Amino acid sequence: MIDVEHRVATLYDMVNVPTAVWIDEAGRIVRPPEVAFVDNRWIEYTKTDMTRYVAGLRDWVARGAESAFVLGKGELRRRLSLPTAAHALAAANFRLGQYLHAQGHWEDAIGYFKRAQALRPESWSYKRQAWALSDAEQYYGTNFKKEVEALAGTPYYAPLDLPPVPG
Amino acid sequence: MVTPEDLVRVSGWELTAEGVCLEGLCVPEPPGEDSFVARRGDETWVNLSRLASLLDQPVVASPEHRVWFFGDRPQGLADRLVSLTAPDFTLPDLDGRTHSLREHRGRKVFLLAWASW
Repeated sequence: MIDVEHRVATLYDMVNVPTAVWIDEAGRIVRPPEVAFVDNRWIEYTKTDMTRYVAGLRDWVARGAESAFVLGKGELRRRLSLPTAAHALAAANFRLGQYLHAQGHWEDAIGYFKRAQALRPESWSYKRQAWALSDAEQYYGTNFKKEVEALAGTPYYAPLDLPPVPG
Repeated sequence: MVTPEDLVRVSGWELTAEGVCLEGLCVPEPPGEDSFVARRGDETWVNLSRLASLLDQPVVASPEHRVWFFGDRPQGLADRLVSLTAPDFTLPDLDGRTHSLREHRGRKVFLLAWASW
């Protein structure tokens, strides 16, 4: 599915890709938005053995609610990132920027993209989408490599907290 | 400012004797200059930005392009997540056909967000 407006990111408070949410048969979230690579090709960014995540996914598919990877309601709520007023304002700025860009007013859109980025600095999606729509160096004075270097040890993705994989 | 008819069309909220109402929830009209309703003779206008402020709804505008964007209420988004019921959405696929999350009730869903930038 194509999500031009980043609607899913707004609804689930996602800030990066790839991000996945596990939803059970009743439509209930059982794992919150988390980094979701299928292998370790980006382990310098994930800092997690992603084969454990995939094994957990298989375990959930096989065992459902009995899987140790299904989080209890309390733990799940603790791990969820909840939208704040700043998040919602960032999303509104981002959407208006997208609208202006789509209407051909791409230079006017940049200010709104920058405000979204300032309000939600942890959102790589706001950064990378805006950079992809213009020249990042020229209009934002940065690029992906510089921004990653500026993390200075801070994880690019929130570290995964996974239980042991069943033997 | 929009007419009461346009208010319903663009937001779903309806101007009533109790204030503006949506799905059984009514926001009373504040008195005096704080009101989101302006009455001029036979005309009635609703100030959407003032109403949005009361609703804690973010508003971003580009007056030069005559565009106002009214975002999601953060508390509404948070309440939906805290309920742990996966928020529903409808999106098109590559062929333009729309799909909703709710169509997949009864099956496990691995909802994966990716991007091609």
